[in-house]
This record gives sequence, C-alpha cells and structure tokens, in this order.
Amino acid sequence: MKQTLTVNGERHEVDVAPSASLLSVLRDDLGLTGTRYGCGRGQCGACFVIAGGRVVASCLLTVDQAARQEITTVEGLANGAELSPLQRAFVEEDAMQCGYCTSGMLISATALLASDPAPDEDTIRDALAANLCRCGVYARVIRAVAKAARH
Amino acid sequence: MAWEHREPEKLERRIRIERDGTVTALSGKIDFGQGIRTAFAQLVADELDVPIERVNVVLGDTAQVPFDFGTFGSHSVAQETPLLRKAAAFARRQLIERAGKRLGVSPDRLDTAEGTVTDGTRRVGYAELLDGTPLTGTVPDDVPLMPNARRHYSGKPMPRLEARDIVTGRATYVADVRLPGMLRGAIVRPPQRGAKVRSLDDSRVRDMPGVKVVRSGDVVGVVAEREEHARAAAGSVLVEWDAVPVEGPSTDVVMRDDTGVEAKLRQAAKTVDRTYVLPAIANAPIGPSAAVADVRADGATVYVGTHRPFGVREQIAKAIGIDERKVRVIPQITSGTYGRNTHGDAAIEAAILSKAAGRPVLLQWTREEEFVWSPSRPEAVLEVTAGLGANGRIAAWRYDEHTNVHAAAGLDPQVLGGTSGRNAIPPYAGFPAKVTLHIEQTRLRTANFRSLAAAENVFAIESFMDELAVVKKQDPLAFRLAHVDDPRLRNVIERVAERSGWGTPLGERRGRGLACTIYHGTYVGQVAEVALDASGRVSLRGFWCVVDPGETLNPDGVRNQIEGGIQQSASWTLLEELRHKDGRVMTTSWDQYPIATFRDAPRSLEVLVEGDASKEPTGVGEPGAVPVAAAIANAVYAACGARIRELPITAERIRKATS
Repeated sequence: MKQTLTVNGERHEVDVAPSASLLSVLRDDLGLTGTRYGCGRGQCGACFVIAGGRVVASCLLTVDQAARQEITTVEGLANGAELSPLQRAFVEEDAMQCGYCTSGMLISATALLASDPAPDEDTIRDALAANLCRCGVYARVIRAVAKAARH
Repeated sequence: MAWEHREPEKLERRIRIERDGTVTALSGKIDFGQGIRTAFAQLVADELDVPIERVNVVLGDTAQVPFDFGTFGSHSVAQETPLLRKAAAFARRQLIERAGKRLGVSPDRLDTAEGTVTDGTRRVGYAELLDGTPLTGTVPDDVPLMPNARRHYSGKPMPRLEARDIVTGRATYVADVRLPGMLRGAIVRPPQRGAKVRSLDDSRVRDMPGVKVVRSGDVVGVVAEREEHARAAAGSVLVEWDAVPVEGPSTDVVMRDDTGVEAKLRQAAKTVDRTYVLPAIANAPIGPSAAVADVRADGATVYVGTHRPFGVREQIAKAIGIDERKVRVIPQITSGTYGRNTHGDAAIEAAILSKAAGRPVLLQWTREEEFVWSPSRPEAVLEVTAGLGANGRIAAWRYDEHTNVHAAAGLDPQVLGGTSGRNAIPPYAGFPAKVTLHIEQTRLRTANFRSLAAAENVFAIESFMDELAVVKKQDPLAFRLAHVDDPRLRNVIERVAERSGWGTPLGERRGRGLACTIYHGTYVGQVAEVALDASGRVSLRGFWCVVDPGETLNPDGVRNQIEGGIQQSASWTLLEELRHKDGRVMTTSWDQYPIATFRDAPRSLEVLVEGDASKEPTGVGEPGAVPVAAAIANAVYAACGARIRELPITAERIRKATS
C-alpha cells in the first residue's frame, strides 16, 4: 500500500503496510539509518525524530500516522555541509562516546532550543531525560546544549 | 596463539603508505567510543610527520590487521602505542633512505615535513617514494622515535575523528550495513539457555511469502524480506524444547598467602569482619546486538561489533563449517557494550541464517533478547576480616571473594585471578594478607563487563577501609594514607581530597566519601558528595576524580572516558539489579531495569588528569568506574550514619539501616 511521507523537507512514496513503524520505514525504505533502533517501546530515545514540531519515538509511530506530519531526522539537522550550532557544540565538547544515542539527543535538544532558546540546566536535564546514554556522557551533553544555546 | 607469544612486528602489518599519499595504520584493537582510533591517528601522524587528516586507522578487519589479542582490560593505548610508534618511525626512516637515493643526498642531511622528505629546498612526497615497492620489514625494537618537541598532536585535546559522522547520522553502525539482496533474520528463543530442540513445527509459517525457516543444531531462526515479517514469522514457529541444566565446575584460586595471617588475626587487639554483596547487573548497551553476514560458497564476510575479531572469526568458521581463513570479519562502529561483545552471538547466528538462505542477512536482536540472552556481570559476595593493632594500623587481612567467572576466557587458570579476581589484593602496605577467589558457578551466563571483578572488590575493600577508620576513630583519609607506600597512589588521594574540600563542613544529610584504586597501572582517587532527601534517596551533588594514567596522549579523551566510567558506575551503584531465576533472566525492558538519566547526573563532575609523563601510558576506559560504589557508600555513611553493604544503594536500604 502506498504511503506518502515528508522527511527533512522531501516527499517520499513508500509501499509498506500502514501499520509499519516509522522507524523501520526511515531505516529500511528511505536509507535514513541515523535514526536508531534501541528498544521498540519508546523507553530509550535512540529513535527520536521531530514530527509535527514534537519529539516522538519513531518506533511507536505508524507510517500512516506519520504521513500527516512533517518529519525531521538527524540527517535533516545540518544545513548542507554546515553543522547546526548543536551539532557543532557536540563535536567541540566531545559530547559522545559510542555515539549510538547521539542522534536522539540531538533531536530532543533541537526541539528544546526551538521552544526555549535560553534553557537553564534543569530545563536541559528535563528535556533530555527520556534519552538514555550508557557510556555516561550526560555532563558533556548538558554543557554542549548550553553552549549551543548561547550562540 | 598463546597469550605470552608475540610474533616479530612486520611494518607492512602496521603501516601502509597509499598511492594518494595517505597513511593507513592497522590495529587489531577496536574503538567502542574510547577514542583509540583518534589516539592512534595522533601518534602515527606525529611519528610519520604527516597531517592527521591524511591518516586512516583500520581497526579489527581480519583481512588486514594483526591479531593484537582483542580489546579488553583498558590495554589498548598501552599495548599499541609503542608498536605503532616504532612501526611509523621505521617507515619514516625507510622513506628518508629512499629519498636519499632519489636525491643523491646522504640520508642524515634529510628531514621530513608534512608528508614529504626534504633537504631544505627540494621536497619529495611519501607516495612518490613508493614506486610500486611498498615499505616492508621487521620493525627494529630500537628504532629512534620522534623527539617530543616535534610531536604536534600527541598530548593535545582533539575531537574524535568519527564525531562529524556521528552527529550527522552518517556513521555506519553494524545494523546500518546494507548489502544488495539482504534479508532480515530473527531467532526463535528457547525457554532456557542451552535447551535442545525436541520437535519443530513450521506449518504456520509455510505460507508466509518470502519466509524461510532455518534450523542448525539447536539454533532455530527465520529469514524474510522485512524485519517485521521475520519477527512475526519467528513468533509463529512452534518449537518444543528439552531443558538441559547448565552448570559449570567451581574452583578456588589462592591469590596471595603471606605467612602469619591467621596468627596475627588471633593476636590482634581487635578484629573486624564484614560482608559485602553485589547483585548481577547487565552490560545493557543502548544498541542491542546486531550482525550482518554474507556467506557464500567460497567464503564469508561478516560485519560485527566485537572486542575479538579473530575470536569471532574462529567461532563463525566452526558454526558454519568452513575454513577460518575463508571468513573475513569486519568490525563496524558499534554501540558501546563495555565487554559484552567478547561473545559473538549475533554474528554466529547471522552466519547460520545467511548460509541457509544463500543471501546476506541482517540480524538485529530486540531489547528483550539483549537483556535475556546476553551474558551479564555475575553477583558477588565479599568477606573481609582485618586485625587491628594497638598502634591503630592494620595487622593482618583475610579476604574471600565469592563470584562466578567474569571473563569470556572462562575457567582458564592462567587468567582467572587477573580477571575474576581482579583487584582483590588491596593496594595497601604494611600487613600480611591472604586473598582467595572462590569461583562458584551460578546459572547466569556471564560476561566481561567494564573492569570485571575490580568493581566488586574495590567496593568491598574501600568500604571496609572506611569502616576500619570509623572503628579506630580516625579520619578515613588519614587512615588510608597511613597504609600507603606507593607515591603515585598517595598523590591521587591527597590531590582529590584537596580538590573536593575534604574535611570542610557540609549541611544536614550531606556527606563526602573517599575511595581509590590502582587499576592496571592507572591510579585513581575519588570523592563523592551526596545529599539524601527525606525518603533516603541519594543524589550526587558533586564528584571529584584525580587520575594518573602515565603519559597522556589525548587529555580530553582521557577525561571523557573517566567521566563516563564514573557516570556508568554511579548508575550500577544506585539503581541496577538484574533479576534471574532458574537460569533465565527475568528483566526484559528498560522500565524493569532503570539506569541513570540526565536527571541523575552529578551536579558537578571534576576530573583532573595528572599523568606522570615519565611513565608508559596506561588504560582509562575502565578505571574511572572502579572506586565509585565505595566512594558513594562512604559518602552515604558520612551523610546519615547508614552503612550500606549491599548494592544497589536504594532509599529503602538506607531507611532500613537508619530506622
């Protein structure tokens, strides 16, 4: 069954069941593998995307729910070769280790700065609380988000 | 290959100058986010005198790299630094010699600059000097190295080489590998580990389009065109299983047995004995295991996350019955697994599925599979007894560690003490000690996990040192220092005490705790500062760490690793417990296994890297995690008088201890 999706400003047609998860369509049909599988239950944040302006777990969203909204994935954050201020701050602060959770964190932080350009530390912690990191880079991510906000 | 055996280093197995002038450096080590790719690129760029952008580091591709033992024990930088440096220096010397012939100049009048050899006026690029003859030869052990003053990169902070690909989503993790014609796999799991197939009924999946059921011994799985089809099909294959008990042998290892321990314990003015308990915990990577296998008639290529590419190659070859030399293992960037990936489960399963399907197969484990079917860190019970002399010092020490094996090497007697008994011997001096490791098999499947048994042993030893100080009414800092004779250990303890404001007053229900360790030559001193709320819940107000890992190649990389170790270990200490029963893990999802979130991160976290530059570099991936549990437990005691000897340190345990 044909589904139309708008991802990172581009329209795509995919032929999958309406119940397929947005995550599987991004990764397997559109080749956007930057959005990662972590738990399939919306409990870890690795698959976060921005849909209709809100942060959602793409593993829980069906493709037909997603079809009505503008989707932004990690691949849509940079402007061509130019990194977004958040991406730059993550690189500069070395706010990653294995990097598996980084895409989801950048999505949460991008949505945060869009609604609150100058968040305090507690606001940053709350906005990212649904993004799990096992390597333990929380302190650096908080610093990177605060730094990007200052720009 | 035996552990102690090392073949002579061949330049061509370490360093390759490519035709476009780039340099390829080869290592059997793997980067899981420890930043070793960047550290290796720094030192090769310096030794060969090339801009770092021109250095490519190939890690773990079995078709290209040396064996290098695998990646564990925080050894990578320590082991590989001298090897890569010498190989790069040897390559540079050969390039200078070749340029000498080319220019008709004595090599001692030539120097290098930015990937060229120069006599001051003329320059020859490294690639031009190849002339179709690659650099080869046995690397001499005494090849002169670049003087420190001429090293541009080593010792300087530097962003990770992969950082840009990670933040743009372009980094290709194992599950991101896409091959033409690739299918998706799923495994049908038994009720318990080790169960044998009694009967298999695939009638419900026979009509599903594009689905194939695979059985190889007691591995049952399916392949399909899409992930969701494979999952649905796997759930419809009916298998009856016969449970097989999985029990291994138990054994004791006496790790230290000084004379006079029992007599001195009997004669001591006072003896103190305590028992500490740690639950099993899960490595719990954010990305569950995955592998892509492409098995063909003439050989196999497998994309994996692994610590041991050559070990996995051997396992795969055995599982699919082909010659090991026909298997190429290509490690990809992978979610951090902190040791779990010494087992190649997903890679073996993917290879079995691909062989049966005749097409490449991506196998992505689910979150539930990762919790239930992965190996984990076993539980531990630590019994410690000390005799205290009239002078306030420890007079004798007896220590019994009860745990299961902590390493993929299993009961290998050569490594048991160093892995499952890691750091069981206290770093303190001035008394005889008897230290015994008792391996007691449980039915939990066990893994290597960041720092192995050091985390449990140092929790016990450093909690106990605090308890002894309390018994002797001494300051825990002074009591420790009275038993330290290693100047580097003394230094990190004194420095961290100073940085944390040790001894200055704190408010109500706040406290500081001190702990330290020497882990594989890396010295770590830590102070935790905690606050307890009315319910007994612990929050980390501040955390200080001073680390001395010898010579430091990338100070900010070191800091990142130590911070990560602290954060992860604080999560183990305050939150984590893996539940299992009759050989089956009962924990299946993150809501049953909460780990620390952004809200739990310490309010302030200071890591000072104060390496003794005259000493060889030592590892930093693990040591940061090691003293954390004791530092927190000691801080909780200082805050409220509750001595928690069993992890995790929950509000309930604190309430019980103080009521």
